Amino acid sequence: MEDMKTIYQVGGTLCRDFTGQISYTVCLDQTYRELDIEFTFGPRHFSPGDVSEALKKELLDYCKKEYGLAPSSPEELEHAIYHEMKTEIHTIATLNGTFIGGIHRQLETRHMYFSPEEATEGCIPQPCIEGVLRVTVLAFSVLLDNTAYTLTVRAR
Amino acid sequence: MYKRLELHNHTTESDASFNCRELIDFFLADGVDGFALTDHNTISGNPKMRRIIEENHLPIEFIPGMEYTTYYGHILCLNLTEYVPWEDINRHKPELLFRAASAKGALTGIAHPYSFGWPFAKGCRFEMEMTDYSCCDFIEIFNNLEPLHQVNEPALRLWENLVFSGHCLAATCGMDLHGSTPLAGHYGTYIEGEKGGDIARELEHAIKNMRTWVSRGALLLADPEDGAIRFAVQQTGKPGYTPHPEQYRIALRTAAGQGECSPGDVIAVSEFAPGTVLIPELFENDTALENLICVAPPIRLR
Repeated sequence: MEDMKTIYQVGGTLCRDFTGQISYTVCLDQTYRELDIEFTFGPRHFSPGDVSEALKKELLDYCKKEYGLAPSSPEELEHAIYHEMKTEIHTIATLNGTFIGGIHRQLETRHMYFSPEEATEGCIPQPCIEGVLRVTVLAFSVLLDNTAYTLTVRAR
Repeated sequence: MYKRLELHNHTTESDASFNCRELIDFFLADGVDGFALTDHNTISGNPKMRRIIEENHLPIEFIPGMEYTTYYGHILCLNLTEYVPWEDINRHKPELLFRAASAKGALTGIAHPYSFGWPFAKGCRFEMEMTDYSCCDFIEIFNNLEPLHQVNEPALRLWENLVFSGHCLAATCGMDLHGSTPLAGHYGTYIEGEKGGDIARELEHAIKNMRTWVSRGALLLADPEDGAIRFAVQQTGKPGYTPHPEQYRIALRTAAGQGECSPGDVIAVSEFAPGTVLIPELFENDTALENLICVAPPIRLR
């Protein structure tokens, strides 16, 4: 993405348990041949310092009540908490109201690249990049307060 | 002929390990007749699949689709030709999204309604308040890799109860394939069709008329005629399934309970009240869920 012009950058923080989306609309100042949307967020998983005994109990109680799950060992519980539970954020882009791509892969740094000939998997090549770009950040699950994210739109 | 379909699959266009060509080759190697691409919240793979199949004259049929992966549940869309925005979904009015996709010609269904959701994967469990099932075409009663009793059994019972109460909902199943998991031993969805027939139309007819079979390899045929229900079992040759016809048992499930019989029995329609909905299910050995071989299309008695 070197040599591409940054035409928009924004960041923010999400609070625990936020569900919903935040959309950013960029009125492109000219016709571009290439577009790259970079999204980063973190942390994705719990760290030991995040998990109090009260939170552990809350998670255990929920999984038992909702799914009938009860870990068979402390190791299994640790694995579930630190590896299987996750903050999950998707990104979707539209151009002039038409869907041009969505990224479901849970990468903490991801790109959505578009040109007339190619595009990142999950995205659709665009013959003409002009008009109104809308990027939507979709927060499915946020485990922790102060989960940070940055969105950068670059073009050439 | 009966077409074996795999209706729930992902590629690297969303979060799986197969790319489009690899997924096609995987299904060709197992003798699948047709498959749907249901990547999470993207349709980018649909034109790639069509191009690969057409350019290489591959003997497999393709159903474009997507899995609407929302905060409150996953909705499978089949025969989907364009993206329908879902982001403004209201968990109290999911019918709006179902209808929006249907208006574009798609068949819509609830995927793995009882999967585990938050804090593992929020949205995997269907938590929407569905009050009007007329906008929904099918329910995925077996998501093959999910736990049988915790996830798939309640999905099967949900579908049965909705059908018993008069809803027209087809049953489907899927691998929810994200990689090279063997298909042997798992359920596939079967529909009636013609060799070289239009798979989109055949699928629509099957779904809209509840003419789907969910089976590990043997199809239970049960049609009422002349006041009696007679049965037949057709083998499909699905790899990994070894038939044991001598062990077959049939459960006839109704809202009132379950009766059992053998494939050679003839059941008088008069045994049931007019309007009764029957769901015939084929088992081996006994009718424990672990031994379920096939869920046949429901029969609505006149």
